[in-house]
Amino acid sequence: MDASVLLALRDPAGIPFYPVVFQALYILTWALHAAFVLLALGSMGLSLVGTLKQDSDPTWKLLTPHLIQTGKISISILIVLGVAPLLFTQVIYDPNWYVANTLSGMWVFIFIYTLIVGYIMYYWYYYANKKTEGGGKLVGIISFAVLVFAGVLMHNFAVTSIMPNEWMNMYAPNGVVDNSGWTFNMDIIRLAFMVSLAIPVVGIFLQNYSRFLSTRPDFSEEFIEYTASLGTKLGVVGLIISAITFVLWMLQINYLMHPLSLAIVAGVVVLLIMVFQNKNSYITTGVLVVVALLISAMRELIRFDIMAKLGYSIYDYPVNLEIPTITMFLLTFLVLGGVGVAWLLTMAWKVGKNQGVFDGSKDVAVTKLGNYTLAIMILWMVIYFGWGMTILFNNIL
Amino acid sequence: MDIIGQFPLFYFPEYGSAWMMGMTGTIHILASHTSVGAAMLFAFLAYKAYKEDRSDLYPYMKKYGMFLLIFSYVIGSITGPGIWYTATAASPRGISALIHNFVWVWATEWVFFVYEVIGVFVLVYFIDKIDKKTHLKLTFSFALASVGTLALIIGIISFMMWPGTEAYYATGSASDAFFGTNTFPHMFLRIGFMIMLSGVIGLVISSAMKKENLELSRELTKKMGYISMLGGFLVLFFFMWYMGTLPDNAHAVFNVTKDSVIQNRIILTGVFSLYFLVAIVRPQVISTPLAGVMIFVILLAGIWPGEKLRESMRKPYVAGQYIYSNQIISRDVEGKGIKSELPIIAEKGLLQVNPFVPENLKVITEENKLEAGKLLTRMSCSNCHSLEKTGKYRPLKDRLKGMDKEAIKSTLYAMGDGAFPYMPSLKLPEEEYDAIAAYIVSLKY
Repeated sequence: MDASVLLALRDPAGIPFYPVVFQALYILTWALHAAFVLLALGSMGLSLVGTLKQDSDPTWKLLTPHLIQTGKISISILIVLGVAPLLFTQVIYDPNWYVANTLSGMWVFIFIYTLIVGYIMYYWYYYANKKTEGGGKLVGIISFAVLVFAGVLMHNFAVTSIMPNEWMNMYAPNGVVDNSGWTFNMDIIRLAFMVSLAIPVVGIFLQNYSRFLSTRPDFSEEFIEYTASLGTKLGVVGLIISAITFVLWMLQINYLMHPLSLAIVAGVVVLLIMVFQNKNSYITTGVLVVVALLISAMRELIRFDIMAKLGYSIYDYPVNLEIPTITMFLLTFLVLGGVGVAWLLTMAWKVGKNQGVFDGSKDVAVTKLGNYTLAIMILWMVIYFGWGMTILFNNIL
Repeated sequence: MDIIGQFPLFYFPEYGSAWMMGMTGTIHILASHTSVGAAMLFAFLAYKAYKEDRSDLYPYMKKYGMFLLIFSYVIGSITGPGIWYTATAASPRGISALIHNFVWVWATEWVFFVYEVIGVFVLVYFIDKIDKKTHLKLTFSFALASVGTLALIIGIISFMMWPGTEAYYATGSASDAFFGTNTFPHMFLRIGFMIMLSGVIGLVISSAMKKENLELSRELTKKMGYISMLGGFLVLFFFMWYMGTLPDNAHAVFNVTKDSVIQNRIILTGVFSLYFLVAIVRPQVISTPLAGVMIFVILLAGIWPGEKLRESMRKPYVAGQYIYSNQIISRDVEGKGIKSELPIIAEKGLLQVNPFVPENLKVITEENKLEAGKLLTRMSCSNCHSLEKTGKYRPLKDRLKGMDKEAIKSTLYAMGDGAFPYMPSLKLPEEEYDAIAAYIVSLKY
């Protein structure tokens, strides 16, 4: 595709801040989103195995509902975390985002309802399994398949968006315009690598799960040991599969010797050793986050290079600086988001470690964080209305 | 090279692609308004339970209410990006304009979403695992975060109707775009509706509790009746203010269907006032099936036509009164350096300036006239009208029935001169008008 066309497809309003910031936010938020996609996929898949053993095996009797619950919460979180990378990508890569979505318009529509049906069925699976041990197998399998299909559709949008030279052929093959929105593309090796990561992610999750519960007297030692060793097995096997598929993907696109690619390979090897030893899975999780960021950066590098070769660089996007709204975002993100989420997670951690009712009003950290969160939210509202009224008075009087 | 930034066109036969947005939007409005309303209701109930030491209210909140809360958040969190996604396929430049003006506002809203999604699970699963005072704080913060999401999205959807003042066009500032004259009335109108919906859905729950605890069921049904009545009153009150802040083109569209819209709203007001009154005076009469049916009445007779009307009143624009529904920039926005695309289209024609028109259709000939006319008609009209003879959504056939080629061309020329305030003033070269008219005639409406 011609550079002049790609440049014309940028929004004439320009972008409200420096492009590199959007790029960095994209890499960061995609990694967070992907982490929960993989945890959801891994815990859902493992829970289905659990439903087969749940009746007879006391370990799986306890573990299966926890995996189902983990999948349930992870889907919700992956959805909300997924909004951010979508937002940032379309600010700087408008040609890619909007062309892929219009070419695959029907799939876009189907994607939304696939996700709704899949998630509602997952709730059905959750309640069926809660009611009867080993229950809801079929519903669970169907919901898993439906949600995986939603993931494949998302993969289609990503792959189509980085095929700018094919767009015209997809839209008007042989000069005949096709407005149907049924464009569908897949890159099997790339998809296989991404999906394979679900296995080590659920493996490391199980190591964390075991470590977290090891201080609770109501969980037996056998259970703690079994979940840790299952986590290690899954982690090791999964990482080997991921490493192989990653190398194949890099060979396919000729990026294996790129420093970023080599860093990912090194990161996977480090993870493999750490998972195998299982000395402290919380630190392993930290390394996993770094590797996830590197993988996210790799995806971005591939796209950046494809577009740069065609003469489209995001760094040349005209900037129309917009200070008040980015100030609002940064303050809300850091202050309100930071304090608020810290409060929720501190509480979750302490409740999880505690048997019976946890009295947060007697816990200094929980009480303070809660009071700060409420005060910040009220202050936020005051500033919002004050700002709005000032603008309005200024413009209408 | 004279090209404008138009994207490939996605068209859904018989209905057009805009209805997809409408359908997802309607479901989202029910879910999102319910979720914000439910968050406020929960804060109220938690406060009452804590202050009056009413431990009987906690099981109610847990067993029924939390399911509702999660359910509305699940559906709301999927259909929210869903509207955005389907709008991207149907109106790429419209949504792009919003994104490039308001990306930081959306990013801020996302912070609230993250808080809400983690918060909703903490709220649900910790109701009997933490002390009541901490839980009360959680419900308050949750309600505030929910209202925060409304406060952030409302300026964006109000801007879709219009920026409210001329300031935005001169400054290009997101603050001027966000806080238009329409923003606050729109916000309070929706808050009223959220309060009403939380009561309406609360009635399903309270009526379902009769078998377990008749007295509590009646008490809560009465309360939900009062809450719904208050919400309904706020809706009516702020609707007056809201209508007064709409631009002229919106009133022009509204006037076309004014009588039937008003009639419909009067009937709805009467029916729901009676329903809420019964809940207050005779709570035992409210049954779960009746309460469930009333939700569908709101969905089908309230939200769907209401959102369709709001979408119609934006015409011919899709965002900020500078982008037409057919994805053409129709005016300069000096503050952002945006130029109107109408002059270049009038001079070169749509086929020449759209980069996704294949080479064989760039120049109209006798051989490709119908094919070019079909593409031009889809590019110019299909965002709002279905084109087929059997089209369902604002079909062209109803507007151009029985017209010959010359009559259609005259209509197109009049439209290009701005004869209809709710239609784009899109001037095209003679050969493109001719191709459109030839194609429409060939459909034999």
